[in-house]
Amino acid sequence: MIKIHNLHKSFDGQQVLKGLDLNIQKGETIVIIGRSGCGKSVLLKHMIGLMDPDKGKVFVDNQNVADLRGKALDMLRMKFGMLFQGAALFDSLDVYGNVGFSLIEHTDMKKKQICDRVRQALESVDLTDVENKRPAELSGGMKKRVGLARAICNNPQIILYDEPTTGLDPIMADMINDLIVRLHKQLKVTSVVVTHDMTSAYKVGTKIAMLYDGRIIAQGPPEEIKNTKDPIVRQFITGAASGPITNNRNYNYK
Amino acid sequence: MHRRLLSPYTKFDKFVVYVGGLTMLFLRTITWAVRPPFKKKELLYQMKKTGVDSISIVFLTAFFTGIVLAFQSAYTMRQMSAEIYIASLVALSMTRELGPVLTALVVAARVGASITAEVGTMKVTEQIDALETMGTNPIKYLVVPRFLALAMMLPLLTIYADFVGMAGGLLVGVSKLHLAPTLYMKKTFDALVYKDLYTGLLKSVVFAGIISIVACYEGMRTRGGAEGVGKSTTLSVVISCVLVISFDCFFTALFYFMF
Ligand SMILES: Nc1ncnc2c1ncn2[C@@H]1O[C@H](COP(=O)(O)OP(=O)(O)OP(=O)(O)O)[C@@H](O)[C@H]1O
Ligand SMILES: [Mg+2]
Repeated sequence: MIKIHNLHKSFDGQQVLKGLDLNIQKGETIVIIGRSGCGKSVLLKHMIGLMDPDKGKVFVDNQNVADLRGKALDMLRMKFGMLFQGAALFDSLDVYGNVGFSLIEHTDMKKKQICDRVRQALESVDLTDVENKRPAELSGGMKKRVGLARAICNNPQIILYDEPTTGLDPIMADMINDLIVRLHKQLKVTSVVVTHDMTSAYKVGTKIAMLYDGRIIAQGPPEEIKNTKDPIVRQFITGAASGPITNNRNYNYK
Repeated sequence: MHRRLLSPYTKFDKFVVYVGGLTMLFLRTITWAVRPPFKKKELLYQMKKTGVDSISIVFLTAFFTGIVLAFQSAYTMRQMSAEIYIASLVALSMTRELGPVLTALVVAARVGASITAEVGTMKVTEQIDALETMGTNPIKYLVVPRFLALAMMLPLLTIYADFVGMAGGLLVGVSKLHLAPTLYMKKTFDALVYKDLYTGLLKSVVFAGIISIVACYEGMRTRGGAEGVGKSTTLSVVISCVLVISFDCFFTALFYFMF
């Protein structure tokens, strides 16, 4: 469904992605883990065409995303739902306007139908009676959930989640995990989940991939990753402060 | 430091890129503006925000300018006992020059700044990215309504400013210089021909385009959080003011030679 080949991207001379390869099959939920600042959000933005590769290609449904323009790109993007790391809700619209945005803009659905869909989407993230609130009136976790409701409201085939559970309490985080699993099982959506939360990663992923130094250094089913011998991956998933990732750094503070 | 010195882009290159960017945005805005669907509700909302809400500030600016013009010209005219020509002087300066330019400057500061701040905040909080991911073109959704609203409201505000300015002149003429109100009015309208009004309005349509395109362009190229929004807002006002005045100079010269 999504094929990434030899993807390179740098910003102002700083190389972020250095020849990344990744294949994502239809219907799978791939979890991408990696340290803060390693380029996970950048990777997601390439999948939906918000950034163009310096080198390499990103194919979605066999179309090269960077070649698409205008209407064709919009059509491709309509297949996606995306949850941004910072939610990116539209300040000028209320929650209803945010969640129902693509239905209001791109379909002829009646207001009543849209209202129903919006309510359903909000219920699935455990929110009720917030339709008329503005984003500024919501808590951080609520914003995240509204962002999630917006991402799933138009029944996308592919959903990109940028840290769906950060900033949520553990119970809510687990509800979101259940939601991701449910969307995967019932609607067979393809999901890409970026997270630091290993509990969530093991629970929702059908596959886990680790991004390190601009490449995918390991990928496999959760069980395989859990029992990996790779020292870098081990350090990350066990959350140890010392190990091969941090070794080359000197702690000479004194 | 070295990087900056060795940077392949000179100031001139950057200028060319900037002007090219503005032109591209302008052309895209025009093509999106004529393409359905048309968002009437958003357009009306923007017209209220840019036009109706600017009425009081335009009133104050134009009224005081009219008063000042009358006083300043009275100073010279009195020596020639030609006070009555103040009426035509105020009328002509307001319609041909000060009405369009002052209104544009005030609106650039008020509306241009708010457009840049709003669009810039949307940019740095990834709301513009979010728009794109939902298959909505940010130019169609954000720039077109603001562009059209300003292109319609700025000329209306300018007409309003013209009359308010003349009223300011009238106040001075009647109360301080003891001219008869009817005579003052007659002199005002005798002096004016249609050309004065429509050259002024033509200018103000161009100014409206400058203000909205510069404001949106600066907003959309904002980077770097709240500080970036502040920077681009300042730049937006400075650039549109400078452009308004330089285009005014150009048009005044053009009209002078054409008519
Ligand atoms: N638009 C941009 N302009 C310049 N640099 C950028 C831009 N976007 C990302 N970067 C840089 O790319 C690197 C990767 O950023 P990215 O946001 O992908 O990290 P991340 O893996 O998502 O981290 P986190 O887990 O903290 O969200 C960072 O070093 C960042 O400075
Ligand atoms: Mg990120």
